[in-house]
Amino acid sequence: MTDTDRGTQRDRNSAFYLFTQQNLPACKPVLTPEWVFMTFLFIGFIFIPVGLVTLRASHSVVEIVERYDIGCVPEPFRINKVSYIQDDSIPKNCSLSFKVPKYMKAPIYIYYQLDNYYQNHRRYVKSRSDKQLLHGQNQHGISSCQPVEVNNDRPIIPCGLIAWSLFNDTFTFIRNRAELKVNRKNIAWKSDREHKFGKNVYPFNFQNGTLIGGGKLNPRIPLSDQEDLIVWMRTSALPSFRKLYGRIEKDLDVDDVVVVHLMNNYNTYSFGGKKKLVLSTTSWLGGKNDFLGLAYVFIGSSSVTIAVVFTLLHLLSHRH
Amino acid sequence: MSGWGTPSRTVTLGRVQPQSPALRTIYCNHREANFAHRYKGNSISTTKYNVFTFLPKGLYEQFRRVANLYFLMVSILSATPYSPVHPITNMVPLSLVLLFSLIKEAFEDWQRFQNDMTINNSLVDVLQAQGWESLQWKKLQVGDIIRVKQDGFFPADLLLLASTNVDGICYIETANLDGETNLKIRKALERTWDYVTPEKACEFKGEVQCEQPNNSLYTFTGNLVVDNQTMPLSPNQILLRGCSLKNTDYIVGTVIFTGHETKVMMNSMNVPSKRSTLERKLDKLILALFSTLFSMCLLGAIGSGIFIDRKYYYLGLSQSVEDQFNPSKRFLVIILTMLTLLTLYSTIIPISLYVSIETIKFIQSSQFINKDLNMYHAESNTPASARTSNLNEELGQVEYIFSDKTGTLTRNLMEFFKCSIGGEMYGTGMTEIEMGVAERKGIKVQEAKTSTNSLREKGFNFDDVRLMQGAWRHEPNHDACKEYFRCLAICHTVLPEGEETPEKIRYQAASPDEAALVLAAKNFGFFFYRRTPTMIYVRESHVEKMGKTQDVSYEILNVLEFNSTRKRQSVVCRYPDGRLVLYCKGADTVIYERLGTGNDDLNKVTRVHLEQFGSAGLRTLCLAYRDLAPDLYESWNEKFITAKSSLRDREKRLDEVAELIEKELILIGATAIEDKLQEGVPNCIQTLSRAGIKIWVLTGDKIETAINIAYACNLLNNEMKQFIISSETDAIREVEERGDQTEIARFMKEEVKKQLKQFLDEAPQYFCSPSGPKLALVIDGKCLMYALEPSLRIMLLTLSLNCSSVVCCRVSPLQKAQVTSLVKKGARKITLSIGDGANDVSMIQAAHIGIGISGLEGMQAVMASDFAIAQFRFLEDLLLVHGRWSYIRLCKVVMYFFYKNLAFTLTQFWFTFGTGFSGQRFYDDWFQSLYNVIFTALPVVIVGLFDQDISSSLSKKYPELYKEGVRNMFFNRRIVAIWACFAVYQSLVFFYFVSLSSSTSRDSDGKMFGLWDVSTMAFTCVVVTVNLRLLMMCNSITRWHYISVGGSIIVWFVFIFVYSGIMTRFDRNDNMFWVIYVLMSTSYFYITLLLVPVAALLGDFLYLGVQRWFFPYDYQIVQESHKDDADSINTPDSQETKEHLTPDEARSNAISQLPKEVSKHSGFAFDSPGYESFFATQFGKYVPPKAWDVARRASMKSKSKPK
Repeated sequence: MTDTDRGTQRDRNSAFYLFTQQNLPACKPVLTPEWVFMTFLFIGFIFIPVGLVTLRASHSVVEIVERYDIGCVPEPFRINKVSYIQDDSIPKNCSLSFKVPKYMKAPIYIYYQLDNYYQNHRRYVKSRSDKQLLHGQNQHGISSCQPVEVNNDRPIIPCGLIAWSLFNDTFTFIRNRAELKVNRKNIAWKSDREHKFGKNVYPFNFQNGTLIGGGKLNPRIPLSDQEDLIVWMRTSALPSFRKLYGRIEKDLDVDDVVVVHLMNNYNTYSFGGKKKLVLSTTSWLGGKNDFLGLAYVFIGSSSVTIAVVFTLLHLLSHRH
Repeated sequence: MSGWGTPSRTVTLGRVQPQSPALRTIYCNHREANFAHRYKGNSISTTKYNVFTFLPKGLYEQFRRVANLYFLMVSILSATPYSPVHPITNMVPLSLVLLFSLIKEAFEDWQRFQNDMTINNSLVDVLQAQGWESLQWKKLQVGDIIRVKQDGFFPADLLLLASTNVDGICYIETANLDGETNLKIRKALERTWDYVTPEKACEFKGEVQCEQPNNSLYTFTGNLVVDNQTMPLSPNQILLRGCSLKNTDYIVGTVIFTGHETKVMMNSMNVPSKRSTLERKLDKLILALFSTLFSMCLLGAIGSGIFIDRKYYYLGLSQSVEDQFNPSKRFLVIILTMLTLLTLYSTIIPISLYVSIETIKFIQSSQFINKDLNMYHAESNTPASARTSNLNEELGQVEYIFSDKTGTLTRNLMEFFKCSIGGEMYGTGMTEIEMGVAERKGIKVQEAKTSTNSLREKGFNFDDVRLMQGAWRHEPNHDACKEYFRCLAICHTVLPEGEETPEKIRYQAASPDEAALVLAAKNFGFFFYRRTPTMIYVRESHVEKMGKTQDVSYEILNVLEFNSTRKRQSVVCRYPDGRLVLYCKGADTVIYERLGTGNDDLNKVTRVHLEQFGSAGLRTLCLAYRDLAPDLYESWNEKFITAKSSLRDREKRLDEVAELIEKELILIGATAIEDKLQEGVPNCIQTLSRAGIKIWVLTGDKIETAINIAYACNLLNNEMKQFIISSETDAIREVEERGDQTEIARFMKEEVKKQLKQFLDEAPQYFCSPSGPKLALVIDGKCLMYALEPSLRIMLLTLSLNCSSVVCCRVSPLQKAQVTSLVKKGARKITLSIGDGANDVSMIQAAHIGIGISGLEGMQAVMASDFAIAQFRFLEDLLLVHGRWSYIRLCKVVMYFFYKNLAFTLTQFWFTFGTGFSGQRFYDDWFQSLYNVIFTALPVVIVGLFDQDISSSLSKKYPELYKEGVRNMFFNRRIVAIWACFAVYQSLVFFYFVSLSSSTSRDSDGKMFGLWDVSTMAFTCVVVTVNLRLLMMCNSITRWHYISVGGSIIVWFVFIFVYSGIMTRFDRNDNMFWVIYVLMSTSYFYITLLLVPVAALLGDFLYLGVQRWFFPYDYQIVQESHKDDADSINTPDSQETKEHLTPDEARSNAISQLPKEVSKHSGFAFDSPGYESFFATQFGKYVPPKAWDVARRASMKSKSKPK
């Protein structure tokens, strides 16, 4: 304000002048009923089609879910399932069969689903050592692996609760008495395989303790190739989750009967967790999940409804 | 003189006073001798910090904020194993906030430092080796002899040794100290008068023994020892730092107190910092957030205590387990999880809120308020200035304005406007009030009065060809004219200043009325140009014959001073030809009582004129004279001298003696001075009252003047029911005459109580009826004193709150403050005080917002104020535009912060339920730490700066919109609840939409997402939604909105691209590696990114639409009715709002400006200095002897004459 000559025309149009005088060019949207109506209608017109397309994609997916955690426990042990699963002397093999309801086009993805399994528990999530997984034994940063970091004073590779509790049920699929080949390669994210798990890191001293949490690892295969482990260690967001087991690269026809021979090794009985086997095809949007489509359709249709109601209210009320 | 202490209430000690030794000895002109005492240097520092103390002190200041302290605690907590998050999560935002605040502090302190440096480096002449040498102020030392030139500031507290004026006198202006602009006199001891030249001064070897530095401005005790002769020193010889030299070529003085030991520095008090109401409400909101946080933590902690169980073998709980997860110590689990969750949910407290608000307010005040051309006063080159940035939004909620009158509503510019001489009225001007009357009668008012009079200057707004340029000689009553002009030129206590020519001279007067009168005399050709203690010199034109000028000197024999009881002032003077005359001017009542017999016609006509002047809002004085016979005078003078020298009751006896001679006066005529209203005051007041603001006038003026001004300002009108509580009733006067103080007090209290009760009973019948008149209360200071007593206070408050305007007259500064705090505390309304003088300081500090009028008078009011504006009318812009916008903006900012943190934190909360209440974090550490400070920080600041619901011209056109702020419509429980509901809804959408939709494979390759993929997806949705929500709440969207909102979203993506793309060998969780690329390779990402924000914002959008259309705010209606207006760039000078008055409005406007129909009061008013000091002492501040009072010195001189 030192210059008293109140500014030349040039000054007056400068951004700073407009800023200090609070006269910056601005659009001043006023939310008139027309706007509200149009916006809702627009949302409706976008969302309903998108929702229908999404729903269609979801419905095109054929999904078979078989719960097996109870069925696979022999009758006498049903009262005390925990003792059954913890008793190594009892054979754990089990088989179930199902009929394919619809034609399933290869690849057919095989998942195991665990419910009520808190893979996202804080104690669990942090019990791993990313450094060790990538760089192996010479790294000392394994204190985070508590309580499974050492056994007999020697470090465990891979350490931590997550690796220790590796899922170890196995599945073989038989159709028409011929085994369906399950491709178990490339089931983990590429970035995980290549950057998080070392090519030169081999399992060591793993599951050698008194308590066995889950699966064992072949000490001759580097971690980067232990895809089961890699999948398992990408911890899930919710206590109910699926993990990819493998792929069947053959189409399944309607009414094909598939028999699954499985080793029911993994203990979910102590905490009442469910185990399910899932066979699913995919669409461009992934597996079967109606949620997105339904949400789209719901929001789209409620937008249209609101638009109509709003218009009616507007016409009935006498503002102005 | 030293008996008056400064009350501790008004003074806070800057520093601890050095206690010993009790005496300071200064060797003048002898640096070596003084060196031993190690006196402090003269450099000052007002900075808060220095290089070393900056960090500790600055950090301490920062951690006094609860939010910062909380985050410090949380940061410490997050370094413990109980924390689910890495310490950086809370450290980063805290350090960013601290860094920003510290930089701001450092910048402000740097500016103070620069300021200090300029002062410290200014130059002053110091005596060194026979000559004056320029030296920087900071190098000055105690004992130095220095020279200060005219208009220069004193660099330290000085002992005046000599002055170029005769008698060792110098004049100083103390405006920086006490806000008084009149000159004060300081006089050196006679012994030191001669040390004016450097040669002489070099010889001066004296020793000053004085008190140690202290903060009392008006006391000084000490001795000057020269050649073993001890002379006492008094404040009269002391020149204080901060004052400036006037009317004197230069003075020589010796330095006694330097730097921080000067009295002004020891008096520097910290202005009590005010916090806005909004901020105090914000504290409550934060408190509510804390309790929400606590309940969330408690819920989660209890959950975790129940959940934890050995059956979850995969958690490895069977062996030795740390306490936090130990199922056998469930209670401990609960406690520790509590800590865990506390760190996890810390984001619910918006850490960057305060710093954002501060930034916004700082820019608002420094860029918008300070630079607004609408509030720039071109004439005085004064922009508005926000002296604090704390109170911007408070300006949008003001309900009561307390205004000073003089200098605030009026210009403190007295203009000689009309006169009545010998029964003839002169003067052609029309006052605003008269114009209002004329306008009502339909007479077109010609604004032609300016051009004709070329002589017109400030203070003289008079034109009449019958008097100007000597034309008065041809008037039939030219003798009366001559006496009239002489009376004006002689009977006063004005000091001429500057060159002795009519063009250059300036008159220094204690009262602006006097200056105007002397100025008038000058313009009539009686030019008063010099005053010595005994003489007044007047250059008289046209007396002998037209065009001839002659210098006449009048000997001033006695001055009978003005005071509030006498209401008149007289001067006895001797003409060069020996004629002895007493000239008298004063209130019509007192003059008329003392008129001699005869001349009844003249007296009657003049009285009619006086009444006309009064009803036109002019201030009147009567002029009279009396020829004295020499013997009569001599005998009287003896009585006068005895009275003058009497020790007891001097004032009273002087008054009595004056009565003896002030009689048998002959009336000459009357003056009428216009107390000019500030520009645009009536319009502004009308606009403000339409905005629901109630304006109270608190003035030291008399009841009549106050009422008159209130009329002129639209505050009172004839349709109002007026309640007047005055002490000027016959009953009270009667009791007063009896003189029993306790009786008077009792009686007045009864009287006041009676009246209050009566009015309270009456009031409901007026404001209950819808069309009833508005109420107004007028109360004077004496009655107010009783009405403010605790027992009557409530009644006063109830009555005055029901009145639409209140006028308090004759109130002391203390009462002004009392009235202000009565409303502030009693009614819990937001108050604003506006004033210009030192007497308004207490009121300015008492109110929520203090506004100083910057411009003419001293700086005291401005220094105490929160905002300074040059004109009262700028209040309209300050409140209706800046205040309103600031309030709305700040509310939006606060609510938005509340919302975005709540919504974000709640997603985390919902996740906790799915993790066995373990306190696992949903988001990556960096997401959480940067959410507040990077991804959502800037747009909200942009809104805080740019949002405009309606343009500034519309804000002023519809002042009613301001009421929304007064009612606090944008930040109340309902609004908070609504935002909270939407935050909960949105957080549910964020969490469940994303997590549920990702429960099956989301990749055509059948691979599954893990925790971090889901959380990144959710976080992306949160960032996008929250930023879009901001756009939805904007009323105006500039390019900067798009840039900041778009920028924030882009910054998030850039961040996550980089963050998940690189992997270092250093300490880093590689959870996030490649996550965003994995996500973005799926179509799911895009589908969700469209769905979630729309779904989340649908509710808000619906609410906004419904709210606007079915329950609109007032501003929204205005928006709609003006949405088709072309975006008129409202130029700063546009006065469109004022021109757009409808005929009806204009008419009511004009009508409301009318004065009371018939006012019998004759408009006497005169600012007597004695009056001011009366209040000053009542307030507890000692005012130094009236140094402007040359006349007193003149009369002192005359005392010695008869010897």
